[in-house]
Amino acid sequence: MKRIIFIVEDEQHCTDRIVEFLKPYQSKIDLYWFDSVERAKKEWENRSPDIVFLDVRIGDRTGFELLAEISLTDFCLIFTTSFEQYALDAFRFSALDYLLKPIDREEFEKALNRAFEKLDHQQLKERLGVLLGHLSQVPSSKKISLPFQGGFIFLDIQDVLRCEADSNYTHLFTVEGKKYTVSKTLKYYELLLQDFGFFRIHNSHLINLRYVNEYSKTGYVTLSTQLILEVSSRRKEAFSKAMGLFLNG
Amino acid sequence: MLMNFCISLIFLFYFDGLIQENLLTGFDSLDLNPTHLSIQDSVIIDQRNDFIKQRLFENPQDSSLLEFAQETLVFSHLLNYAKGALMSNDRLGLIYQYTFSNPFKALDSYFQALSIAEENPELSDLQWGIKGNVGLIYYEQEEYGKSLKLFQEVAANSRESELTALLNIGNIYGAIHQNDSAIYYFEKALLFQELHSNPVQLANLYSNLSLIYVQEQDSVNALDMAQRSLNLVDSLDINFVKPTAFANAAMAYLLIGALDQSEELAIRSLKISQQQGNIFVQKVAWGTLSDIYAAKGNYKQGLQAFQEFSLLKDSLNNQNRRVEINRRQMAFDFEKEHDQAMAEIERQKLQRIYTLGIAVLVGLILMAIGYIYKKRRDTRTEISEAKSRVLIFETELKLLRTQMNPHFIFNSLNSIGDYILKYDPESAQDYLSKFGKLMRMLLENSSKDEISLQEDLEFLDLYLQIESRRQPYKFSYSIEVDDKLDVTNVLVPPMLLQPFVENCIWHAFPEKNKMGKIEISFKMEEDTLHCAIEDNGVGRSRGQVSGTHQSMGSAITESRLRILNQRLGWDGKLQIIDKPFNSGTQVEISLPLILAF
Repeated sequence: MKRIIFIVEDEQHCTDRIVEFLKPYQSKIDLYWFDSVERAKKEWENRSPDIVFLDVRIGDRTGFELLAEISLTDFCLIFTTSFEQYALDAFRFSALDYLLKPIDREEFEKALNRAFEKLDHQQLKERLGVLLGHLSQVPSSKKISLPFQGGFIFLDIQDVLRCEADSNYTHLFTVEGKKYTVSKTLKYYELLLQDFGFFRIHNSHLINLRYVNEYSKTGYVTLSTQLILEVSSRRKEAFSKAMGLFLNG
Repeated sequence: MLMNFCISLIFLFYFDGLIQENLLTGFDSLDLNPTHLSIQDSVIIDQRNDFIKQRLFENPQDSSLLEFAQETLVFSHLLNYAKGALMSNDRLGLIYQYTFSNPFKALDSYFQALSIAEENPELSDLQWGIKGNVGLIYYEQEEYGKSLKLFQEVAANSRESELTALLNIGNIYGAIHQNDSAIYYFEKALLFQELHSNPVQLANLYSNLSLIYVQEQDSVNALDMAQRSLNLVDSLDINFVKPTAFANAAMAYLLIGALDQSEELAIRSLKISQQQGNIFVQKVAWGTLSDIYAAKGNYKQGLQAFQEFSLLKDSLNNQNRRVEINRRQMAFDFEKEHDQAMAEIERQKLQRIYTLGIAVLVGLILMAIGYIYKKRRDTRTEISEAKSRVLIFETELKLLRTQMNPHFIFNSLNSIGDYILKYDPESAQDYLSKFGKLMRMLLENSSKDEISLQEDLEFLDLYLQIESRRQPYKFSYSIEVDDKLDVTNVLVPPMLLQPFVENCIWHAFPEKNKMGKIEISFKMEEDTLHCAIEDNGVGRSRGQVSGTHQSMGSAITESRLRILNQRLGWDGKLQIIDKPFNSGTQVEISLPLILAF
């Protein structure tokens, strides 16, 4: 059975590039491309795609709007984007796949293979929920999707107590004492979470400031779980500042 | 026989010639505020004194002038204005003398005025007018010796007051029945031109002369002089002179036996002097009337008039007896007033000292506040200057970083152009996506002050990958990192090395068949990070010949390093070493080792 692939993209040369990259797979796929949200939406019910390459910005609309308007079935979603930083963060939170333009052939191949192996379309609905939650202007409890045991786990960001580096892996600890290990660097989570009241106190530690119970000037924080962590001497000043900012709203 | 010989007075000794044109309309314009006196107020005091004199002449019965004059005196004292005080005392004397018929109070005021004149030599010219007034009082008190002495002094010393002095000397001689001397002085006075322009004095003189001639029983001259004085008085309506002029004329008419005319004049004199409260003239008028009625044979009325005459004479004598008592009372009152005035002056002085003290205190406080304010402002200025310096540094740095971008971008676009020229769309495609990734990193990195060494290494690696792919057999590269360096923890300014790498690639290897080599290394030595870029190219001297824009990237790095040194107190160094025999170039950058954690 041939896979149905949708490309939703308003710039022809970007479509051409994906089409070019897909040439080797011609026999396995049925390819459709649309240059507007409306046209893609119209075809969606008839065809129900397996893999969708979705541009973030389509004319004066966005790919997110399209997702909000269709009924979600499990399909593999790969965003294509140029430089929408806000969207990149949202993708990372929701652990959704994305390709940066101009699309690199190697990365394209990797993403396509993940899609063929159906690795990346599980729990799409929940992950899209996380994505849209991060894109929303309305303040809501934001979640983070973590790839876990072949699936995904969804955590409220504010339930994350701390993150600890373990070379190229990161351990995330929740307030309930659960531990999740993800194959991303601590730096990755630092960048992702720093706007959510997280602060990197140490090369190995990223903590959620709301769970800081105590800070001694000798350079140790006590978290609400009575765990004591060292604040690296170079971060003390910045930590005091961040803590002050956090407490004052 | 005449029962009395009244010498009418030369009135208002000090008034003559002093009626001035600045007719003031009222008190209001001359108001002074005792709490806010200034030097300029001395002018107002002068004006007030002039005003009093004028009003007194116009209406001698205006008793409200007393308060006004007293006020003026107080103001003069408050201002320490000697001339004002002298004049005010003189005016008070005049008011007591003519308005209140109180010679003793008048004398006290005059003596105050005289003592001021003595203390202030520049005011000594003013003493003659006052002495004249004092002489008049002595004259009224029938202390002729004293009076004569004063007037003679005045006549000898003051040209201005000579005439009035002479007239009064004449009057005194008349009073002491030395009629020859009186006539001599009056004749002498008549020679003064100014007398004829002063109808008041002239009328008085005629009146007085007529009286002397009456005493001499010279009826012709007496009548002549009386008529002259009456003409002047009537035609000019000079109220002041009227009672005495009428009284004296009445005596002249009495002498020639014109009893009805004499009676009429005496009654007119009496009425006016009663209105004016002038007991002295009233007494004279009653005396004359008594003589007239006696001459008429109307003894009953004559007796009544005589009784009135005696009554007034007693009253005047009583007044004389009261002189000492009054004088003492006066002296006491004056002392009291003087003390009060002194107390007031003291109080004012004290108030001034307090005011001054408070002003000084307020001044000091203001200065202190000013000083503190200035200091704070200075500090603020310093802070803001420091801030703006930092801002300038940062802006400069940002500018330098963005300056690098177009330089790099255009070089990369040239490379893509190369692929297109070579009809290799696949490679162009790949190259472009790598270039896109690099651009992304460039944009992200150039907005930061510092990135981790790892990020910088990724960038350098990608850059070198791209460039080596573009020119496959031109050069090889290696990047060596000291094992001791934790690349995720070491922070470096973004893309400090890239311009030198770029230089190598573009200029170090012009020879086509020789494989170039670029060796990049990062080493740690105590607190210093050593970065080195070494090539085996043609060296700078030859490289520069072939590429004119060679120095642009490195110049930018040099500037950045200089700013970082300045701003952060670094001792970062940049060294470019030409290897011997044009065997390549070595660029060494040393930076302080900065760790994120």
